[in-house]
Amino acid sequence: MAKYESAWSKSIPFKQQMRIFVRLMGYTKLYWRQFLGALLAAGLLAGTNVALPYILQEFMDRYLQNKSATVQILLGFAALYAFGVVLKAVFQFIQNFAFLMGAERGLEDVRRELFRKLHTLGMRYFDQTPAGSIVSRVTNDTMTLGDFWNVLLSVIVGLFSVVSSFVMMWNLNHRIALYVLAFMPLLLFAIWYYSQYSSKVYRHMREKLSELNTKLNESIEGIGIIQQFRQEKRITKEFEATNEDYLATRKAMIRTNSLLLSPIINLLYSLGLVVVLWAFGVMSLDNFVAAGVVYAFTQYVANFFNPMTNMMDSLSFFQDGIVAGSRIFRILDDQEYAPAQNPGADATITKGKIEFRHVSFAYDGKHDILHDISFIANPGETVALVGHTGSGKSSIINVMMRFYEFGTGEILIDDRDIRDYPMPELRQKLGLVLQDSFMFYGDISSNIRLFNQDITDEQVQAAAKFVQADQFIEKLPHQYHARVIEGGSQFSSGERQLLSFARTIVTNPKILVLDEATANIDTETETMIQEGLRRLRKGRTSIAIAHRLSTIKDANLILVLDAGRIIERGTHEELLAKKGRYFDMYELQNGDTAIE
Amino acid sequence: MGIFKKLGWYFKAERKRYLFGILFLVLVALVNLIPPKVIGSLIDLMDGHALTVEKLWLMLGLLIAAGVGQYLFRYGWRTAIWGGAAQLEKTLRSRLFWHFMKMDATFYQRHRTGDLMAHATNDLNAIQNVAGAGILTLFDSLITGTTTIIAMIMFVDWRLTILAILPMPLLAVMARRLGMRLHREFAHSQAAFSRLNDKTQESISGIKVIKTFGQEKEDTEDFDRIVDRTIGINKRVNFIDSLFDPTTSLIMGITYVVTIIYGGHLVVTSQITIGQLVSFVSYVSSLVWPMFAIGRLFNVLERGNASYDRVQSLLNEQSAIIEAPDAIQTPAQGDIRFKVNKFSYPDDDHATLVNVHFTLPEGETLGIVGRVGAGKSTIFKLLLREFDNYDGEIDFGGHNIKAYTLDALLDSIGYVPQDNFLFSTSVADNIRFSSFDKVQGEVEDAARESAVHNDILDFTEGYGTLVGERGVSLSGGQKQRLAIARAVITTPELLILDDSLSAVDAKTESEILANLKHERQNKTTIIAAQRLSSVMHANQIIVLQDGHVIERGTHEQLLASDGWYAEMWAKQELQSQIENKIEGETIG
Repeated sequence: MAKYESAWSKSIPFKQQMRIFVRLMGYTKLYWRQFLGALLAAGLLAGTNVALPYILQEFMDRYLQNKSATVQILLGFAALYAFGVVLKAVFQFIQNFAFLMGAERGLEDVRRELFRKLHTLGMRYFDQTPAGSIVSRVTNDTMTLGDFWNVLLSVIVGLFSVVSSFVMMWNLNHRIALYVLAFMPLLLFAIWYYSQYSSKVYRHMREKLSELNTKLNESIEGIGIIQQFRQEKRITKEFEATNEDYLATRKAMIRTNSLLLSPIINLLYSLGLVVVLWAFGVMSLDNFVAAGVVYAFTQYVANFFNPMTNMMDSLSFFQDGIVAGSRIFRILDDQEYAPAQNPGADATITKGKIEFRHVSFAYDGKHDILHDISFIANPGETVALVGHTGSGKSSIINVMMRFYEFGTGEILIDDRDIRDYPMPELRQKLGLVLQDSFMFYGDISSNIRLFNQDITDEQVQAAAKFVQADQFIEKLPHQYHARVIEGGSQFSSGERQLLSFARTIVTNPKILVLDEATANIDTETETMIQEGLRRLRKGRTSIAIAHRLSTIKDANLILVLDAGRIIERGTHEELLAKKGRYFDMYELQNGDTAIE
Repeated sequence: MGIFKKLGWYFKAERKRYLFGILFLVLVALVNLIPPKVIGSLIDLMDGHALTVEKLWLMLGLLIAAGVGQYLFRYGWRTAIWGGAAQLEKTLRSRLFWHFMKMDATFYQRHRTGDLMAHATNDLNAIQNVAGAGILTLFDSLITGTTTIIAMIMFVDWRLTILAILPMPLLAVMARRLGMRLHREFAHSQAAFSRLNDKTQESISGIKVIKTFGQEKEDTEDFDRIVDRTIGINKRVNFIDSLFDPTTSLIMGITYVVTIIYGGHLVVTSQITIGQLVSFVSYVSSLVWPMFAIGRLFNVLERGNASYDRVQSLLNEQSAIIEAPDAIQTPAQGDIRFKVNKFSYPDDDHATLVNVHFTLPEGETLGIVGRVGAGKSTIFKLLLREFDNYDGEIDFGGHNIKAYTLDALLDSIGYVPQDNFLFSTSVADNIRFSSFDKVQGEVEDAARESAVHNDILDFTEGYGTLVGERGVSLSGGQKQRLAIARAVITTPELLILDDSLSAVDAKTESEILANLKHERQNKTTIIAAQRLSSVMHANQIIVLQDGHVIERGTHEQLLASDGWYAEMWAKQELQSQIENKIEGETIG
């Protein structure tokens, strides 16, 4: 795994980090009420936290030191203190809950935006990006943002706490308050040093962990191969090495935290306490020092130092958030959009005539997959595309469905530029039957109507009947409400194909685009599929990719494709008369029928 | 507490580490008693104008010593106990991994990858928590709790102590209650998260269908609904999570109120000094964490216990594939006699193979054809000893395959599975997967034999190119050919191609078959295929249907008998001839 490199091991330049940071903060804007509420509560909480020792200070200095407290005084202070505690509890709750909800809503917004953005991207994007990594951007990376925003909260809470305790100390004694403040540079240095050092160790640890889990996952998935080739020992040895590495990084992290995190803050606190007590002690040699003041001061010193641990601890999430943010924005900024229509496109398809004029197309913008393709399909006619894998049949369909933008030339529907039709119009009038019939989690009905709730149950059943899918559906336990599991793997590919026909026919498209399946299907289903196809095509303009020539004999125009060019064109009879490629293919088919 | 017993083996093995850890915890607890006492005493000295410079320095010296001591002892227990937890997790992960390596196909049918991953991550995490946070809280609560209470009684007043710690058990109860509820809600939250994950996964996989039907908007709305539900669920999690701090404050508030009233009374009536009261308040605050942690301890232990049981029950599962005590160690070689009367997969009543018998003399080739689900792969699974629970006998070289060690049997077999799984490492390492000591030349020979050498040279980094998500994305045909190269590199006695040529074109297929024929003279080969051209040159061919052999013979015999094989042949011949023809013309 020499070239193994995850986002964890890359360091992002400071400037870019700042940009990502600002942009991530932008998502909190919409929930400013929650975040502001949390900050307000944090401020009030800081106030309460210094007020409570102050109450005790007053209590001690006014009524205990001179032993003048009556029962009423005792109860009064107890009530006052209790009131303070209730306020504290309320502020704590508001601070936590408002913040968590603001973060939750903010990160869910990022999720929604990502998901929305994905639907605007073109097929090219999905060709190039593994599904797993897209999913992880939408779910895992966004998850990190909550912790990221929390870094800010803990910094602000720390700040509030430092400022409020300093103010209180200043009020009690300027000089001693300044002594405590003198610890600030040390504290800042500790924070800076920790964040520098620990982020490195932490990154290394995360990297090792993800490597470890990748290896584990892969070994489980590939267990059959590992066992068949008797490589259990070697694979285990490799895994052990990674396991050891991870343990080492974890121990390094533990050591770092033990040396530099809460113990060091505690040590600084102890030293701060020593300085304060020394100052009061020296003062008391000549002057009167109130017990309550000393008590309150020790509390403020604790308040001054303690929030730092929490803050430093959360700093590691800062880096996580920046890394996740950079990956999220890479999707949000992606320019690989789905082909766009002309501005103000509002034409409607009435007849269903299709024309390709000198169309060329390249997936990568350089190597043409289609060269100079021209043909016309008049309303109600069938144009068949014939040729071997890679000849460009699927590409014609891909550009016609506007999955990809074509290069030069024109594609016309009803004699108008295809870009003049709004996308919903095209999607509604052009029905594509895909070779790979993807099934969604849900039931049979939901797979036929998809999300279109305007389609009634009757229409769903009629569609299924029309393509003869009703025969197998009605044998299922819950018929049209039979569960479909992920990918529809409980159905044969033939059955899935029929469902996909039904899915298309239920929308009643004007133009049909058929990508005939090459999968091996048993004869019985095959006959049903052929019949289904015949019914689908009736009365519609069709562009059909055919592997079996017998199914397209009646096509109005047959295009024989090779390496992205049309090398022969004509009707079945014309092409036979030409005695070219199509003739050869048909001869072979005849030979076959002779055997049968 | 049962979990501590179950982990006893580990604590025993690591007793030094844990003794150190606990010793340091005791030291921290003792040192922690110093500052409140010092502060209290100083206040009293100041109050009584009895403070001298010497006394002040003594007290402050004590305080500094306590601070430094704390730092060192904290470092001590942290590295000892947290390190121990990390170590335990690693040990268990190793065990689990090795166990996974040894388990049979039945195990992997029962447990899905995701579940096994969850055991190896979440469950191990819960267990290591017992050895870390669990041990820490148990001892810290006991030690700090007792020492602090003793200090409170000794240095201040026993009546005040009893009254003040009265509300504290509430802390433990609250932490436990909220912890349980949080855990429950958190499970819902995780379920909501996987729903989101599944939804996204499905939308990305079905992106073409969604685009085709122009349902981007509807799909987004569906996603939004799931997001809304997730927010609702997480709201409950956040609510409970936000309750911890305020409840702690409230319960501690009671203690403080008691201290103010009764402690105040004691000071006014001169039963304790004001300095003692200050010490007392400080002691109270150092009791918060131990009490709170005790409540959490139960949750940690409970989760750890459940996880440990789950992991243990995984570890207790035995592979049904057992090597005979005095198994043959010489690699299997010779004729294969396959005589299976009946085989059903575990937990399945349906017989997958019925009376499948064949004999394959050494050096010959057998073709197996039939529809998907006819039982072709099952024959291989039995040959590879993935399942032993069949009625019948399989011999290799005159011995039952169960009489060999797994090494002796499997080293003789090169298997190319249908799903051709590749590892995310370099192309070269994938090819020499079974014998890592093969040199580059041998790797290239294997690649040439399976007609993938030229493809590899086209990759950006040739044989060093990474396979998988981070590397090159391979076509189905390239994957199949790499899988073939991986199997042929050792020139195994028996090569099994399980429908491994389906994604390569006809020309490449015949090239590979010709290479195999040339390189594998006198070696046995079994080819299962949908495409009959893959098996037509085999010495014998069997046709499977629903686990039965319905036809057998050579290609010519089967054509002459005019059955399923002949019918399929006619169909496929047409298709392949068309493709060949076009291919030929394209090149020409």
